[in-house]
Amino acid sequence: MEAALKAIAAPHRRQILSLVRDEELSAGEIAAHFDVTRPAVSQHLGVLKEAGLVDERRNGTRRLYRVRPEGLQPVREFLEQFWDERLDALKREAEIEERKKRDGSEH
Amino acid sequence: MEASTETAVRREIAIAARPETVWEFLVQPEKATRWMGQAAALDPRPGGEYRVEVLSGNVALGEFVEVDPPHRLVWTWGWTDESQSPVPPGSTRIEVELEPDGDGTLLRFMHSGLPDAEATAKHAHGWDHYLERLEIVARGEDPGRDTWLDGNM
Repeated sequence: MEAALKAIAAPHRRQILSLVRDEELSAGEIAAHFDVTRPAVSQHLGVLKEAGLVDERRNGTRRLYRVRPEGLQPVREFLEQFWDERLDALKREAEIEERKKRDGSEH
Repeated sequence: MEASTETAVRREIAIAARPETVWEFLVQPEKATRWMGQAAALDPRPGGEYRVEVLSGNVALGEFVEVDPPHRLVWTWGWTDESQSPVPPGSTRIEVELEPDGDGTLLRFMHSGLPDAEATAKHAHGWDHYLERLEIVARGEDPGRDTWLDGNM
């Protein structure tokens, strides 16, 4: 999860993800879209692959990359955790308030 | 839609407080910030602004859509960031329903409009948009300032 978030935090990696969203591309084809070196692109691809956000496929001597949609599932889990924590806090605070109100009305 | 591609976050919780009390925590800034965020500006009427600063410079921004106290509240939700390129707010939707449950309340929560993984792969704008938003979530995950997750605002 953290790997996925860190992977998409870099603008170049987001651009790479956009490029390989609809079609498989090689590292060279991806590099042609950027003002960055081929090794830098390879490094970005490594991070994205590690984070589960892209798949790599060998086609002869070429390695092709494309988006791996299910890679974002952990992000959804993060949001679920976020809301669970927040709703727990809402419950706690509303119950404290309710007790205050009830104590107040008894006097 | 299959469960596997359903991306809405749904929750149901029982709260030992009347709906009127819970409602105050949804629409009154001083109470809203007791469960989320550092500062809030809330104008709870259709079209009114919803703005909660979750962290410094990390703002959840949207618009109230339905306001039916103390039963149902709907607002749009997105992220904006003052130090980075802004992300269009109002891109997802949050619905809260409060149902009396004895002396308490049954709260139903739904956060929808989160792009599902398959559609995200197919639709360019959805993908770009989702990633931009996630980048901001990622900054909220920064271990140095994740006080928003400890429930101790």
